[in-house]
Amino acid sequence: MGRAIVKGLLAHKLRLSLTAMAVVLGVSFVAGTFVLTDTISKTFDNLFTEISAGVDVSVRAASGFGEDSGPETARDTVPATLLDTVRRVPGVEVVAPTVGGYAQFVDERNKAVTTTGAPTLGFNWTEPELSPLRLRSGREPRGDGEVVVDAVTARDHDFAVGDRVKLLFRGPPEEFTVVGITGFGEADNLAGATLAIFDLETAQRVFNKPGRFDSIEVKAAEGVPALELRDRLQSAVPEGTEVVTSQQVADESADAVQQALGFFSTALLVFAGISLFVGGFIILNTFSILVAQRTRELALLRALGASRGQVMVSVIAEAFLVGLFASLVGLGLGVLVAIGLQELLKAFGIDLPAAGAVVKPRTIVASLVVGVVVTVLSSIAPARRASRIPPMAALRGGGVEQGGPLRRRSVAGAVVTALGGAALLYGLFAGGGGTLSLVGLGAALVFVGVALLSPLAARPMALAIGAPLPRMAGVSGKLGRENAIRNPRRTASTAAALTVGLALVACVSVLAASIKDASASIVDEYLAADFIVSTQQFVPTISPELAPRLAAQPEIGAVSALQTGEWRYQGERRTVYAGDPATVGEVLKVDVTGGDFGGLARGEVLVDEDELEEQDLAIGDVLPMTFARTGDRELRIAGTFAQNQLLGNYLVSTATFDANFTDRLDFVVLATVAEGASPAAARAAIERVTADFPNVELRDQAEFKEEQENQVDQILGLVTALLMLSIIIALVGIVNTLALSIFERTREIGLLRAVGMSRRQVRSMIRGESVIIAVLGAVLGLAVGVFFGWALVTDLDSQGIENVVVPGGQLVFYVLLAGIAGVVAAVFPARRAARLDVLAAISYE
Amino acid sequence: MTTAMRPSVPDPTRSTPAARGIDLVKVYGQGDASVRALDGVSVDFAPGQFSAIMGPSGSGKSTLMHCMAGLDSITSGRVFVGDTELSALGDKELTRLRRDRIGFIFQAYNLVPTLTAGENITLPMDIAGRKPDQEWVERLIDTVGLRDRLSHRPSELSGGQQQRVAAARALASRPSIVFADEPTGNLDSRASAEVLGFLQQSVAEFGQTVVMVTHDPVSASYAERVVFLGDGRIVDEMTAPTADRVLDRMKSFGD
Repeated sequence: MGRAIVKGLLAHKLRLSLTAMAVVLGVSFVAGTFVLTDTISKTFDNLFTEISAGVDVSVRAASGFGEDSGPETARDTVPATLLDTVRRVPGVEVVAPTVGGYAQFVDERNKAVTTTGAPTLGFNWTEPELSPLRLRSGREPRGDGEVVVDAVTARDHDFAVGDRVKLLFRGPPEEFTVVGITGFGEADNLAGATLAIFDLETAQRVFNKPGRFDSIEVKAAEGVPALELRDRLQSAVPEGTEVVTSQQVADESADAVQQALGFFSTALLVFAGISLFVGGFIILNTFSILVAQRTRELALLRALGASRGQVMVSVIAEAFLVGLFASLVGLGLGVLVAIGLQELLKAFGIDLPAAGAVVKPRTIVASLVVGVVVTVLSSIAPARRASRIPPMAALRGGGVEQGGPLRRRSVAGAVVTALGGAALLYGLFAGGGGTLSLVGLGAALVFVGVALLSPLAARPMALAIGAPLPRMAGVSGKLGRENAIRNPRRTASTAAALTVGLALVACVSVLAASIKDASASIVDEYLAADFIVSTQQFVPTISPELAPRLAAQPEIGAVSALQTGEWRYQGERRTVYAGDPATVGEVLKVDVTGGDFGGLARGEVLVDEDELEEQDLAIGDVLPMTFARTGDRELRIAGTFAQNQLLGNYLVSTATFDANFTDRLDFVVLATVAEGASPAAARAAIERVTADFPNVELRDQAEFKEEQENQVDQILGLVTALLMLSIIIALVGIVNTLALSIFERTREIGLLRAVGMSRRQVRSMIRGESVIIAVLGAVLGLAVGVFFGWALVTDLDSQGIENVVVPGGQLVFYVLLAGIAGVVAAVFPARRAARLDVLAAISYE
Repeated sequence: MTTAMRPSVPDPTRSTPAARGIDLVKVYGQGDASVRALDGVSVDFAPGQFSAIMGPSGSGKSTLMHCMAGLDSITSGRVFVGDTELSALGDKELTRLRRDRIGFIFQAYNLVPTLTAGENITLPMDIAGRKPDQEWVERLIDTVGLRDRLSHRPSELSGGQQQRVAAARALASRPSIVFADEPTGNLDSRASAEVLGFLQQSVAEFGQTVVMVTHDPVSASYAERVVFLGDGRIVDEMTAPTADRVLDRMKSFGD
């Protein structure tokens, strides 16, 4: 029996490889995700080890968040006088104070040098023993006006030793002379960040930390363990200062990266899972067709004495071998996919450092298991069908797959669809834990249900979709259409694979359109400012000098900078917004619903009215707020405001913000046109000021809305690109089904050719069938996707996304694309059909 | 060796033959494994005549038909359908020739399963994008007696009915020649008689040229002329055959 299976597989290499392709692609996505995230993780781990190389212990200000602090936590600085205290502790060999902050290069076209996601960093040059910096050329910075640049930035912007460069800190750009180019350990830079290195005094000046340090790095004397030194230092430093080992610092950073990567990896794996799910449909379909085509052969085995079990095992064993083979190939391709994914993410502005390719044993095991399990599970139904073939079938002609009556299948389909829909809606609207996986399960069930139901719809829909074909392509078109409906089950399950991908694309399209619609109305509803000044970086980088200078322009009315920062409410992570109490009400439409707005100026906090109710607080209550820098603070609740999507739940004054956060930079500055001034004049006035701040961008309301839409489109583009793989797999499925159908219809095609059908007409016939299958899958997918999109958007009601917007034109465009994809999928099968030798085909058994 | 052994030469009493093969050689395979399926066959099929090609299995009779009909290529020699020489044609022209000037009836799988009987009959014209000669098609349908079966799919027709549909299709585009390859091979005697009767009638009434490959003496007896093939050569010819005479001739093949 085993030999028969292997021989059967080898005899049908093409069939095998097409079937395997679906699994290969899915598995390569899984493997690629693992490889990419493991590689990124490894790269970061190396970096963190590098950063703390040589350092044994760090002395820094304690964080109000305690254990909950991360590398991003904005701690207080320590006084420079602490250095002597530290130095005097026995066992301290070398000390190196560090001071750092935001520093952004400005290129020769007076544009700020931006990064895709990575920070723009500046810090002081320290003892090479305690620093990962390695000079590539030039020397270290000495004195004001000198800077060392990382090798990547230098290369990208032609900065050479001796050049004058401009840098942005907290004010207008300052000029520096490049005195050295540095690497970061072996690497050319720090994970994509730009680096500007100064001497200590300059760093303290430009980062506005005179007489202060961010931390003091310590190298222990020979024979003094880091833990021992930590304890000695801890007892020597004053309260509010903490001493940690470099290992702990590296772990904090690594944990933060792991957390971010975990989310990212899960997201990618979801897409990989979708691809495998689609692949499963194709395996199921292919094996169904293969079993039907081999009815005679399998029946002969039965007639010769093979048991039902043996027949079933033979099909499953074949699937196992295909799955194993495909998973191995997929695993190998995974490395390429990892590179592709990285490039794809880079194209969408997510630049992640990854050096080499890390293939962990976990990746290998997971890929093989997933690939084999999906293939074997998908083959069970066809295998059971195969086992039911009676020996007598050996004597009858080879058949087309039959399966149970459509009615039973349809009832099952309706039940599964209803269950899936219910799970999806319950997961979305009922809330509670584990809802996301419930939504996912619901969606998967809906797809299975729709696939079960679709043979019912396949006939009428294919007839409708194919209606123009006979007119367009004559008898070839008519035959193509007839071929598409002659086996509704096959057509439907082939189309179902495409349904999944397109449903998800349609779903995110509805979501994106609705978000765009909402973001436009959010701007109308909550933004009063005429102009928005912001930057491209992810973290706030606007100089605090900008807002006052704008306010001084006569053409400009109200101006407020906004800040945002993290705090803890009873240990829970919260965000607070801050603005100028005098003007924030003029640039944002803040609807004060209780208490008084003047509280802001008094150093009190305003709270969103719903949040207030949810936290069971009242106006006049004291809100305990924990800040990283200042620890536990109690702010009086002065009033409430109605939900404002641009403002979050908590609002304080900029002064209060400054009192609790370190070196403030603004994330946005909002301004209105002065009464009597023209918008053009106001714009010109703003541009005069922003000329000194090359990192900012100016937008009016319309431009701001457009920018928001662009951002949504970018995410939509990324998601669609990630879903592309599942769509490609579905197209492979169409190719596969067509190839198998053609194989089955060899004689018929031979006959058509004999009575005068040209090759071109044969191709056109196959193309017609392919287009019908593709469009059928697309239309069903869009219907399901619009339902999903509706459910999601309705769930997002509370996020200010109120209207469900169905982008009709876009959906029609997808259907057209599906039609074109159908044409492409038909190329190979059609060519094969057209090249059939007429004589061999008509005498084909 | 009798006069019956003389090779089939053009008949001066008739005009251009509907199909003509000259010195046809067809070799399958190469070297030692090669088989000469046709070994210098020259034959004419006169217009308006019902001819049968007979011979034992492996005699080359099907190969001859396939080569004459443009379904298979010849190794050497020349094939004409009317005035058209086939060996000069590419796939496109051959396809068009089959579509417009040749009718086919195969032993089985003659019909496209997704088309109705009526659609199968007009298939060659539909492929050509031409309107069928409605009057002619109606007449054919009545002659084969399938008027009440026109909207049925092939799977709903008996074997005999399917072959009658195939016969009607073969004639529907008024081809200059109809090739039938064992058209009754899968039929019982009654159904066979209906199909053969129709072919005979089409020759007699419509002046159709029909060439039929068969190994059945009874079928051959419907023809006006029988060409016997053995080992890739024409070994005999018989006019106005009867089943008994054909059977006798066939018996002597083994000698």
